[in-house]
Amino acid sequence: MTLDAKTLGPRKVSGVTVTRPGRGAGVQTYIPEIAKGLAITMKHFFQNTKEMALGQRNDPVLESIEDGINTLSYPEQRRPYPTRFRGLHRLTHRDDGSPRCVACLCCSTACPAQCIHIEAGEYPEGDPKRGYERFPTRFVIDELRCIFCGFCVEACPCDAIRMDTGMHAAPYDSRDQFIFEKDLMMSFPGRDGSHVTANPRHEPGESGHPGVDRSHGH
Amino acid sequence: MNDVALFAIKFVGLGFAVAMFAMNLAVILTWVDRRQGAMIQDRVGPNRAVAWIPTPIAQGLAFGPAALLAVGVLAYCYKNEVTGPALEQRGMLFSQLAVLLFWLTGCVIASKVKARGARNSFDLWIQTLGEPRYIFFGGLAVHVALFFFSLMLRGGPSGATFTKITSGAGPALFALAALFGAGYAAFVIRKEKRVGLRLAGLLHPAADGLKTLFKEDFVPPNADKFLFNLAPFISFFPALVVLACVPFADTLCFATNAEGKIQLSQLASMVPRVGVCSEGALKIQAIDLNIGLLYFLAVGGTGIVGAALAGWASDNKYSLLGGLRAAGQMVSYEVTMGLTLIGMIMVYGTLQVDKMILWQQENTWGVFAQPLAFVLFFAAAVAESKRIPFDIPEGESEIVAGYFTEYAGMKFAMFFFAEYIAVVTASALMAAVFFGGWSLPFVFRDGIHLAVGNTPIFDAAMPHGGVVALGALAFILKTIVLCWLQLTIRWTLPRFRYDQLMRLGWRKLLPASLVNILLTGFVVMAIRTGGPTADHAMSVVANLCNLLLALGGLGLVVWFAIFMSTPRKIKQNLSTTSAQYAADAGGTRSLRMGA
Repeated sequence: MTLDAKTLGPRKVSGVTVTRPGRGAGVQTYIPEIAKGLAITMKHFFQNTKEMALGQRNDPVLESIEDGINTLSYPEQRRPYPTRFRGLHRLTHRDDGSPRCVACLCCSTACPAQCIHIEAGEYPEGDPKRGYERFPTRFVIDELRCIFCGFCVEACPCDAIRMDTGMHAAPYDSRDQFIFEKDLMMSFPGRDGSHVTANPRHEPGESGHPGVDRSHGH
Repeated sequence: MNDVALFAIKFVGLGFAVAMFAMNLAVILTWVDRRQGAMIQDRVGPNRAVAWIPTPIAQGLAFGPAALLAVGVLAYCYKNEVTGPALEQRGMLFSQLAVLLFWLTGCVIASKVKARGARNSFDLWIQTLGEPRYIFFGGLAVHVALFFFSLMLRGGPSGATFTKITSGAGPALFALAALFGAGYAAFVIRKEKRVGLRLAGLLHPAADGLKTLFKEDFVPPNADKFLFNLAPFISFFPALVVLACVPFADTLCFATNAEGKIQLSQLASMVPRVGVCSEGALKIQAIDLNIGLLYFLAVGGTGIVGAALAGWASDNKYSLLGGLRAAGQMVSYEVTMGLTLIGMIMVYGTLQVDKMILWQQENTWGVFAQPLAFVLFFAAAVAESKRIPFDIPEGESEIVAGYFTEYAGMKFAMFFFAEYIAVVTASALMAAVFFGGWSLPFVFRDGIHLAVGNTPIFDAAMPHGGVVALGALAFILKTIVLCWLQLTIRWTLPRFRYDQLMRLGWRKLLPASLVNILLTGFVVMAIRTGGPTADHAMSVVANLCNLLLALGGLGLVVWFAIFMSTPRKIKQNLSTTSAQYAADAGGTRSLRMGA
């Protein structure tokens, strides 16, 4: 293709014409604009002064001249976390202290970071739960891989894994300290201090058990 | 003794007072500039300096002066018996002062209690009064009520009773208020080991000044040492001495003895409305020059030499550029400054600043007579003090620090100071020439006379000392407001480019000031040829301007007081649980959020 005046020259562009903002006498003389700017500065100044004088905001002056610096003495003092804050995982307990987890692998399947590793175990022969549900022989979460999305909590059918500890991971020395085992996660209480959940669990055979079990067969 | 005191006041005291006024205000301005400029952006300016005082001494500092004041007032009032209008005035003054002190103390204590919680039974009681601003409103109501009672009852038999009550109880109540406020402060701090004196951060500029004294006094190796050391003084001195031609208050009238010498102990109680006392006059002005404004322009102009010398003597390219810029800028804007003042001189018919103020007292403020001149003069004055938006001589983004790049320690501080003193002097001069100096609308040498044209509306006599004190207060307030306006401009506007600056100076401000002179000439001629009719019309216009000023000023003060005392309605949009949680815990920045 040859480069000539036709290809290089100005082409007609379609569109809406936007008029330039006016440069009227007010803008040209600069004085009304100065007045506007001064008004904004004064507004900020007087409002800030007023709010400080009336105690509507922390006075940056008084705050900084108080003894010490206004920081939190972590870990004695902590920043308040919101109620739905997703902290470290905990494994909830049954009434007998065993984990509620039935090793269904829903959480590890849902986990986008693939940080949950579960080894399922069968209950011994003769146990009423054998063949009905399993239990985790190992339940491991790599808290370094975890992205705290909460999908595992959503996925769990038994309310066995929760993230309501209100804790965040402390800075440990080495990476293997972030590999949380089942016992550790079972030792974390929730924010209310309990190891169980408010959702009731009914063991097979109990009257409130809603689902199927051996006695109420298929 | 009298002669020595007179000499001290006339030649040492007034000059010293002027210098201290400018320098102290400049120190405060350096602090205000940093501190308030920071507060606009929610930052903290310099405020860390503190002097720790042992509690007993602090208690003494709080209570001692108050006790002295109380005893002095009581002793003065009950020893010097007066009668007639003087008694009435004294009763009114001390009752109003007592009310002022009561509501002020109440407001301060109430807001402290609101901030820190109640600590004693008095705190609990003051909490029951409600918000601190209710105390303020109550105090205002009592002020107004006292004033109108005294007006209504004046002359009648109940007026005498009223005077008896105010003159008897006023000083006692005033003493009580002073003692109570100081006693409360001394009581509250009794358990502290030591008390930090910060003066709202004002100690910081003092600490900075002290620091600069001990800094290394560096002179560049190839600099011209003599001129390098001379420049800060040349730049500092003129800025300080130009204030000498500005009067701070109305002329004081004293009685004279047989030799015609002023008797300092005998201040005239009342003076006539027009004219200055023929003998026994003491001008509150460092030097009484008949060339007035010319002195200001002449001495103020020599400040250029300091900046130019500093730039040249530093042996530094940036300094030289800064010095050149400073010289060019100041010479350019000096022209506008002088030409705008010519319009004012034509209106006032005098060069003396105190006579200008007398003209403004009889007519109206100069800013109404010459509004264009004020705008031009203000712009030129800001440019003269080399401050934003005209601070290209020290434009730190281009030429490091301009003409004082090589200066350190106290010499740097002197340049810095000179800049702020120039702000103070320019503000004082503008207050005197454009805003009536120590005069207030309708306040004359013998009292308040509210009248439009020939119809009087309100009259009240005031003692001479009171009028002069009020005037001095008004002058200082006007100066502070104008200083503050200049600082606000600094916080707002960006810097001009050098060519923009020159174009503004020579192609906009200079022609405008010439046009101003032309128009002023026409108007002055028209009024002169118009005869008594024109004179009367102009005086009515002047009275209306004053009325507008008085009402507008009062309205502004009331509006401002209400604005500042009413809490802002903060709309909190707590849309997330974390925001709600933080708000429940008392905010994320609050000390109250614990574990």
